[in-house]
Amino acid sequence: MDAMAHTDQISMPGSAPLTEANEVKIAARGVDVFYGKNHAIKNVDVDIEDKTVTAFIGPSGCGKSTFLRCLNRMNDTIDIARVEGDILLDGEDIYDKRVDPVQLRARVGMVFQKPNPFPKSIYDNVAYGPRIHGLTRNKAELDDIVEASLRRAALWDEAKDRLKESGTGMSGGQQQRLCIARAVATQPEVLLMDEPCSALDPIATAQIEELIDELRQNFCVVIVTHSMQQAARVSQKTAFFHLGEMVEYGDTEKIFNSPEDKRTESYITGRIG
Amino acid sequence: MSFGTLILAVIVIAAGAFFLSRRKVLGLADGDRRRLHSLPHYHGMHALLLAAVPALLLLFAWSVLQPVVVDRTAVSHLSGENYDTSGERSLAMSEVRRVADAIDGLIKGGKLNSDDLDGLSIDDLGRRLEETGIPVLADVPPQILDSARTYRSASAAGDLIKIGLVLLLALAGAAYGYSVAHPDLRARNRTEMGVRALLVAAACVAILTTFGIVLSLLFNTIEFFRIYPAHEFFLNLTWSPSFGGGSDLGIIPLLWGTLYISFIALLVAVPLGLFSAIYLAEYAHPKFRSVAKPLLEVLTGIPTIVYGLFALLIVGPALSSVYGRGGLGWMPSDTAVITAGLVMGIMLIPFVSSLSDDVINAVPQSMRDGSYGLGATKSETVRKVIVPAALPGIVGAILLAASRAIGETMIVVLGAGAAARMSLNPFEAMTTVTAKIVSQLTGDADFASPEALVAFALGMTLFVVTLGLNIVALAIVRRYREQYE
Ligand SMILES: Nc1ncnc2c1ncn2[C@@H]1O[C@H](COP(=O)(O)OP(=O)(O)OP(=O)(O)O)[C@@H](O)[C@H]1O
Ligand SMILES: [Mg+2]
Repeated sequence: MDAMAHTDQISMPGSAPLTEANEVKIAARGVDVFYGKNHAIKNVDVDIEDKTVTAFIGPSGCGKSTFLRCLNRMNDTIDIARVEGDILLDGEDIYDKRVDPVQLRARVGMVFQKPNPFPKSIYDNVAYGPRIHGLTRNKAELDDIVEASLRRAALWDEAKDRLKESGTGMSGGQQQRLCIARAVATQPEVLLMDEPCSALDPIATAQIEELIDELRQNFCVVIVTHSMQQAARVSQKTAFFHLGEMVEYGDTEKIFNSPEDKRTESYITGRIG
Repeated sequence: MSFGTLILAVIVIAAGAFFLSRRKVLGLADGDRRRLHSLPHYHGMHALLLAAVPALLLLFAWSVLQPVVVDRTAVSHLSGENYDTSGERSLAMSEVRRVADAIDGLIKGGKLNSDDLDGLSIDDLGRRLEETGIPVLADVPPQILDSARTYRSASAAGDLIKIGLVLLLALAGAAYGYSVAHPDLRARNRTEMGVRALLVAAACVAILTTFGIVLSLLFNTIEFFRIYPAHEFFLNLTWSPSFGGGSDLGIIPLLWGTLYISFIALLVAVPLGLFSAIYLAEYAHPKFRSVAKPLLEVLTGIPTIVYGLFALLIVGPALSSVYGRGGLGWMPSDTAVITAGLVMGIMLIPFVSSLSDDVINAVPQSMRDGSYGLGATKSETVRKVIVPAALPGIVGAILLAASRAIGETMIVVLGAGAAARMSLNPFEAMTTVTAKIVSQLTGDADFASPEALVAFALGMTLFVVTLGLNIVALAIVRRYREQYE
């Protein structure tokens, strides 16, 4: 954080001009999350827009990943986690009894903080989602999806000659891009990315940011990041979390240039976190 | 001084060395621990090890060797036609030991003065022994009595020298340890070396014992092949030992029975065990799991003879009431391959499920998250991610179960019958390698006959087969472990 002690060292958004207001894709109202007695998310309200990149920033342990996992009910897999409040996807409560979390996760894909490729071949990793959801009619179509997904994740050139090799045999950064390709291949409406670039070099990071920008044309993308520059470069909306609360949410430009809350300003200028 | 007291004495000396040396170094350093090379207790440990280890080693070596030497001296009195063969001599030696023990008992009971012993006639001694009710042969031959006297005196001398030497060695070690104790002594490093040597020695004992067992198996097997042709053993299709000689000792029918029963057992145990492991690891509520898993593991501790009784008294009659004479008529008797196989399968279920459950649990949560995050259901995740990821470990578990099935004895003795037969019908009685080892050694056969020695060849074959299976299983399990490190 030393390198960016001052706001004026951060390149400001400009490359990603705001379009006119988009539809709200996900609306959260009064969301609380508890891990046993630990109150990890406190009364969060947020409207995440479609065809927009929304960035979650905040110090480590403030609940960014936790909130992200609420959006596709991945917290269901943690026994001690309890979610309260309403989260609406296209106006439908995703915690409603009638909603099948499995269907939901096919619509709201996720890339995890730590790369977690399956111990299968690279090809099978990417083809996993399309296969279980029956997205293709034949092998040729599947091949096309795999290739397109790997290209979008900037991994095709490195992977095309070793599609049959195990995904766990790749480098950390390659594994993370493989996980991105895997999530993209399922063709979700919303893509949640938890620090997707934390293991990547600057070149791969630039490629992933390009991908995120491209995904924005059709999808709703939510990204957690510790890099202020990255949040500024790729996102149109930014939410700042601190100690389980969502302190401030608004246009990225506004958050970085004239934050309303003192805590946001301190964090962005590198004084807390 | 008995064995226990002697060990206690050595321990006391060693403890003394510990405290004295520790005090000496602390004194030399003016009570300042920082001026010592090692912490004070390492200096103490150093002296303690020097005092205790050589003395105890000597004690054990002496205790092993003394009886051999004493026997040698005592046996020299036994000559003449009655003691020609080694068998006769060893029989006489056990008599000698009994007489010596009886005399010891007399002396301890105050009935006899040890000084009088030399002058005592044989009749006298015999009468005295009778009075005390100690059972000794009515008329002890003079040679035996002589020998017993020598035996006693040699033992007594040996014991005395042993006590002296051991105590001397302990004291010498303690004195040396104390004399070299100095703040600059690298006591910590030396203690470390000592500890390592002790651990290596313990490991060596375990390995050498196993090695000894294998060697004795091997020598007896070679002995067997000297009197019975190996190709007959491995290729003959009949097993019919007859203690009068001229037996057919082909292993193939026994191996067939073993493999057939094990196969049925695995057919029962693998699906049931694996499914219950998957249920426990992936579906069950954690509270249920925390109760059910230990319960399953308790099942692995049930002695196999209990399963054998179960086979004999419940499963066999139940099967026979359906498939036997009263029912379909396929099953001539209660004991059959299917009876033993079923029960053995039940025995192996907890074994397979407990090992597989561990392996499935070792699959990182992030794999599951990855699959759920792509919209997979639970069973899709299990089938496509978890089981493939855990497969090497599961295969390892199955191979370990297989080697248990192959080595299992009690269930087959009670459930499978005794007929060495090669047939595909699972309702017929067959027998296994292990069951035949038992029956070959529990008869009255001369220990040097091929009918008895064949047990070693059978054991060796079994050993090689299960060893091979275990090696493959362990290699697979290890490869699996590396995957997530
Ligand atoms: N599986 C879990 N079980 C119990 N507590 C958890 C679990 N996951 C997170 N927490 C707690 O919830 C709080 C928020 O954690 P979270 O992982 O959401 O933080 P984060 O903002 O993503 O941090 P980072 O930037 O380091 O990834 C922390 O206090 C953490 O200890
Ligand atoms: Mg996180």
